[in-house]
Amino acid sequence: MPWGVLWEVPWKAFFSDAFYGSLHNVLMMAAIIFPVMMVLEIGRDLRVLDRITVFVAPALRLLGLSRQATFPLLVGIIFGIAYGAGVIIEAARSGEISWRDLFLVNLFLSTCHAVIEDTALFIAVGADPWIILGGRFLLAVILTCLVSRMAWLNARLPITSAK
Amino acid sequence: MLTAATFKRGLQRGWSTTWELTKVVVPVYLGVTFLKYTPVLVWITGACAPVMRLFGLSGEAALPLVLGNMINLYAAIGAITSLHLSSREITILAVMLLISHNLLVESAVAGRTGVNALAMTCFRLGLSFLCGVFLNLVL
Repeated sequence: MPWGVLWEVPWKAFFSDAFYGSLHNVLMMAAIIFPVMMVLEIGRDLRVLDRITVFVAPALRLLGLSRQATFPLLVGIIFGIAYGAGVIIEAARSGEISWRDLFLVNLFLSTCHAVIEDTALFIAVGADPWIILGGRFLLAVILTCLVSRMAWLNARLPITSAK
Repeated sequence: MLTAATFKRGLQRGWSTTWELTKVVVPVYLGVTFLKYTPVLVWITGACAPVMRLFGLSGEAALPLVLGNMINLYAAIGAITSLHLSSREITILAVMLLISHNLLVESAVAGRTGVNALAMTCFRLGLSFLCGVFLNLVL
């Protein structure tokens, strides 16, 4: 970069833009994040997920997932990969979830996770809520449905199921 | 059961997330705003325009895309807010970024659950590009 350009930078405009812009940004994010975290914590303590698990387990059969995969999947969808992975690693270690479920849950979550926090942030900066939430969810459902019916995945099932 | 501890944790998580976000958003916002005042952003925009056009995005949208994938969504948001993008562009960017972001960290996490991290990264990037092209056609 030719350093001469630095003399042409309107520094005053830059500093006021930078200061007010960052301040506005942080306040806007805080206004979204505090309520979202509060709702997530309340949901956790009311054990909302345990109740939903009973409901959605049949629907998950459509995705080719077994009952044991429901809870890790829901945690990942709502709270994000980091939390989801914690539950998944735990389930894998205790042997209650098969390799096949593990793979499909990862596939689903790689496309669609942390739907509350991340989506809220993007809506705040002006993205279309229906497209970013509905589109991503639909995509994950379709992908998981398709892959769960693939022959190679099912062929692998008996040999490598997690112990 | 709901107790005072629930709300305390909610506040704590709200605070810590906001702080994490501030640490990333502010430097990125400052950096991109600075670039806007120099010719550098114009060079980047010009260089990336041909590829970004596939997704219906302007060249400068390459910044949030790269930052989001390398660092995280907060960095991408810092960049988005400092640029002037249309709401159509923001929606396309949002879908692409929500599918693939924070790849270095999240792939490592996914890898620990026993799935191939490299395959996961390629899959997410590929899917994100496909969705960008698709949305550009239908929106």
